[in-house]
Amino acid sequence: MLDIVGKRFWYFLISGVFILIAVVSLAVFGLKPSIEFSSGSIISLAFETPVEYDQFQQKMNDLGYSNAIVQRTGSGQFLVRTEVLTDAQKTQLETDLTAAFGTLSESSFNSVSPMIASETARNAGIAVAVAMVGMLLYVTYAFRKMPSPFRWGTCFVIALFHDILVTVGLFSLFGKMFGWEMNLMFITGILAIVGVSLDNTIVVFDRMRENQRMGVSPNFEAVVNRSQIETLGRSMNTSITILITCLALLLFVGGSIQNFVVVLMIGLIAGTFDSVFVAPGLLVVWDKNEWGRFIGRKKATPVKA
Amino acid sequence: MTRNNKIVLLVILVIFAFTLWVLLPVDSSRLGRDGLRLGLDLKGGVQLIYQADFSGNNTEDRQAYMDRAVLTIEKRIDQFGVTEPVVQQLGNDRIMVQLPGFTDIAAARSLVEQVGFLEFREVEKNSSGGMVYLKDYLSQDQLQYIDTAETGNRVFVTQGTDDNGDYAYKTIAFVSNIDGVITLTDGAGNPTDNVSLKTYGASESWIVTRGDDGTALTGSLLADAQPNINQTSSKPEIDIKWNTEGATIFDQIAARLHNPAGAGGTYSYQYALGIFLDDNLLSAPQLTSEKYEGRGTISGSFTLAKAEQLANLLKSGSLPMALKAPEMQEKISATLGAEFITLSWKAGLIALILVMGFMVAYYRLPGLMASMALVFYTTLTLAVCKLWPITLSLGSIGGIIVGVGIAVDANVLIFERMKEEFRAGRTLKAAIEAGFHRAWSAIWDSNMTTFIACIILYWLGSTAMHNAAVIGFAVTLFLGAVVSMFTAVLVTRTLLRALTGTGLANKTRLFTVTGGKK
Repeated sequence: MLDIVGKRFWYFLISGVFILIAVVSLAVFGLKPSIEFSSGSIISLAFETPVEYDQFQQKMNDLGYSNAIVQRTGSGQFLVRTEVLTDAQKTQLETDLTAAFGTLSESSFNSVSPMIASETARNAGIAVAVAMVGMLLYVTYAFRKMPSPFRWGTCFVIALFHDILVTVGLFSLFGKMFGWEMNLMFITGILAIVGVSLDNTIVVFDRMRENQRMGVSPNFEAVVNRSQIETLGRSMNTSITILITCLALLLFVGGSIQNFVVVLMIGLIAGTFDSVFVAPGLLVVWDKNEWGRFIGRKKATPVKA
Repeated sequence: MTRNNKIVLLVILVIFAFTLWVLLPVDSSRLGRDGLRLGLDLKGGVQLIYQADFSGNNTEDRQAYMDRAVLTIEKRIDQFGVTEPVVQQLGNDRIMVQLPGFTDIAAARSLVEQVGFLEFREVEKNSSGGMVYLKDYLSQDQLQYIDTAETGNRVFVTQGTDDNGDYAYKTIAFVSNIDGVITLTDGAGNPTDNVSLKTYGASESWIVTRGDDGTALTGSLLADAQPNINQTSSKPEIDIKWNTEGATIFDQIAARLHNPAGAGGTYSYQYALGIFLDDNLLSAPQLTSEKYEGRGTISGSFTLAKAEQLANLLKSGSLPMALKAPEMQEKISATLGAEFITLSWKAGLIALILVMGFMVAYYRLPGLMASMALVFYTTLTLAVCKLWPITLSLGSIGGIIVGVGIAVDANVLIFERMKEEFRAGRTLKAAIEAGFHRAWSAIWDSNMTTFIACIILYWLGSTAMHNAAVIGFAVTLFLGAVVSMFTAVLVTRTLLRALTGTGLANKTRLFTVTGGKK
C-alpha cells in the first residue's frame, strides 16, 4: 500500500517552500492594485465615423492602455477609464486615436474617484478571517465525537489559510512577471478558493472520521494513510472538472476573466494538494506530538511510535 | 423501480420542464420577469452625470459634501433594490451614476433625483418683525434680500388643491443669488418676469431656519425616520428623531419661534416651521412648545406607501446639496466589454459538455446520470436567479462556477463510494443505497461549511465591505450549494434507482471501468 502519511515531512517541505516563496514575494513585490481601486481619469470620446468596440479595445491595448475599462455609449462613442493621465498623455492618446479612427468630434476629460473603495480589499481579508473563525467552530463541532476535535478544526483552518496565502503570494510573483493587477476578478477568485478549499479538506477529514469510527486500525497514522488513499481519486476528479471549467473560461472569455481563472487554478491545485497531503499529516504530527521535528533536522522517515 | 420512485421521477421531470420554460429563450419574459437580470459589468445600463449645485449653501468644505452625496446616492439606490450601481465623483463637483439593467433613462433619473433634500424654513421677517411676502419682492426696482442677514435663497409658496382636490402647497417662485446677482425665478427654476407672478403676491417668503451658530436645520441632522399612522387623524405620517446636534438646534429654533400662547394659540405662519422636501412645502406645523427633546413628526397628505418611501429616503440621508439636471445621460455598454456575456454563455456551455464527457468516460452509466443531474442543476439555478430575481454579475458567475464544482463533487463522492461497495461484492442496488448513505456525511459537512462561509461573506459584503461582487458571490454560491444537495441526492439517486429495475443493471461494465473487479 502507498505510504502517504509516512512521507508527511516531505510534503510539509514542499508546502513550506511555496509558503516561503509566497511570503517573500508578497513582502518584496506586494500586489499592485488595479485602476478600479485608485483614482483615475475618464475620457469620453466620440468619433465621427462609427468604430467597433473590439477595434477600439485592441487599439487601446496597442497603445499600452491594456488595463483601461472601455464602455461603449453609442455608435463610435466610448467612455474610457484609465489611470491618472497628465494633459500631455491625454493629448497624445487623442492624437493616436485620431490617427487610427479619424476625427474626434467631441471629447471630455475628467478626473474620477476610485470605483471600488480601497477598504474593499482590506475588508475582504477581514471577511476571510471571520469566515475562518466560523469554520473553526463548525468543524470542531462536526468532529466532536473524535478525540480532541479542536485539533481538526485548527488543521482545517490552517489548510484554508495555507491555500489563500500560497495563491495570493504566487499571484503577486506572477503579477510582477506579467504585470497582473489585483482587481475585482482577483478578489472574486480568492472568495472562490475559500469555497473550493473548504470542500476539499472536509471530504478527506470526513473519511478519516469514518475510518476512525469504524476502527479500521488502532494506529491513527494508518487510519489517516488509508483515508488519504481512498479520497485520492475523488479529489483528483473533482479538481479536474473545475480545471476543465477554468480552461474553458480562459480560452473562450479570455483576458477580462483571466485573473479570476488564474487565482482559482492556483488555489485549486494548492488546495487539493494540501487537503490530501498536508492537513491530514498535520493531524498526525499533532497526534504524535512531533512538533519539535519542524525545528530539528527533518528526516524522511518518521520514528515509529 | 418502485412506485414512489416513479412519482419522484415525474416530479423531477415537471420541475425540469418548468425551469426550461422559465429560461428559454434566454431573453424571454416569464412570470413578470424579463430575462436574467445582469449587472453593469455584464450588461451595461444607464449613465447619468450630475453637477452639484452649491449655490444655496456655504462652501467651506465642498469635498466633504461631495463624499457624503456619493455615499447617500449609493445608499438610496441600494434601498430601492438596484444592485451593483457605480457612483463616483468626477472632478471637483460632479457625480457619475451608472445604473445596471436600466434601459429607460427617465426611470433611472427618477430614482436618483428623489433628492430627498429635507430642510426646515421659516417665514422671512422684515426689520420691523412683520412677515415678508412675494409682493414685497415684486415691488423692488432692484432685487435685494429684505432680511440682509440671511443669504440663502427664498422660496415662495402658495396654497391650492392637488389633483385629488386635497389641500396642497405649491412652490411658485424663488429668489436666489445666482453668480452674485439676486434673481427671481419661477417654480421650475426658470427666469421669469414680475407680471406673471403678480397674482401670487400674498405668498409668504420662506427662508432657511438656522440654529444660534448659523447651522441650517436639514435632513442631514436626522438620526432616524419611521413611517407611522397618526392615532387621531388615522393619516400616515413620519416620526423623526434628531441626532444630538439636530436636537440642540431644533430646541434653539423652537425657543425663538414658538407661539407664546402654546397649543391653544391661534395658528399663524410666524410661529410655523415649514418642512420642505426638495423645495416643496410638505407641512407647516406651528411650534407650540419651547422644547422638543429631539423628536418630531412630519405630517402631510401622504399615502402609506409614500410615507414609507419618504422615511426610507430620509434614513438614507438627504443630499447635502441639490443636483442640477444631468448634463449627460446615456446608455452604456458593459464594463467588461460588449462581448463578455456571449462569450461567457459559450464558455459555460462548453465547460458543461466537457465536464459531462469526463464524468461519462470515468463513471460510465452513473456518470451519464450525473450529467443529467448537472444539466438539471444548471437550469434550476438559473431559473431561481431569474425568478428571485438575483442580479448576476462577475461575482455571481464566480459563485456559479464554484457551485458547479460542488454539484459535481457530490456526485463524485457518491460514485466513488458506490464503486467501493460494488467491489466489496454487493449487488448494484445495495451499492447504490450504501454509496448514498455513506457519502452523505461528507456532502452534508462540506455544504455546511460552504453555507457558513456564504453567510459570513454576505453579511460582511452588505455591511463593512459594501461590495456587490462579494454579495453576488455569496448569494449564488449559497443557492448553488442548496440546489446541488437537492440534485445530487434526489435527481442522481432517483435516476440510478430507476435503472436498477432494468436490464442495464446486470451489465457491470456500464458501471465501472474494471467491471467490478479490482
